[in-house]
Amino acid sequence: MKESLLEILCCPLDKHDLELEDAEYDDDGDEIVSGTLVCTECGERYPIEDGIPNLLPPDMREGTPA
Amino acid sequence: MKLADKRGLETDVYQPAEDSHLLATTASERIDDGDFVLEVGTGSGYVVETIADETGARAIGSDLNPHACERARDRGLEAVRADLLTPFAASTFDAVVFNPPYLPTDPDNEWDDWMEHALSGGESGREVIDRFLTDVGRVLSPDGVVLLLVSSLTGVEEVVERAGEEGFSAVAVADESFPYETLTVLELVR
Repeated sequence: MKESLLEILCCPLDKHDLELEDAEYDDDGDEIVSGTLVCTECGERYPIEDGIPNLLPPDMREGTPA
Repeated sequence: MKLADKRGLETDVYQPAEDSHLLATTASERIDDGDFVLEVGTGSGYVVETIADETGARAIGSDLNPHACERARDRGLEAVRADLLTPFAASTFDAVVFNPPYLPTDPDNEWDDWMEHALSGGESGREVIDRFLTDVGRVLSPDGVVLLLVSSLTGVEEVVERAGEEGFSAVAVADESFPYETLTVLELVR
């Protein structure tokens, strides 16, 4: 994901801003490949894997077929 | 018989079909260069890619399904794994585009693969659409529009009425008839 995407994302639970932690960028440095998005209010953590932020609420992360 | 068997073989990601083409074409005519567009439930990424290519808009896709997010990303698109509109900030998008799961489904049918998530709209066919309509006003910019594909199987009048309850007026901007259903693209504005 591009870092600019962060401006339009929010915590799905309480709609507060997210903060980027432990970001790893691709070779060009313009895309975040992995990291964690952390809600500035409730502290819930959302992973970024293979460039895709997973912003499902925690109770939905496991409940869907693989 | 499972829904996946009725529609084809792919069980991970819904592949572009007549509904996708109608929505992609109609949306591309109504979205402008410079708009910021979200496609909810992007599936293969076909609709959002068409919009980006045809209009020059910045278009991103979201999906519940991780395989869909990967396909969209493989097309070079920005993808977010999300439950409908829940992780998107208020007053963000000039247009939100959605080809929802709309087939009315027997409640005894189990949710056992991704294709069923992509197709089934619950017993009424409108369960996902109703949840979408409840929240979409929040993420739209003041002049933002929704382009929503609905089927005669789902009940276009019911969707228009539900949108009205959320403060939207609906206009049918495209439709196309097939042997089993008529597809309509509704434009919702406030």
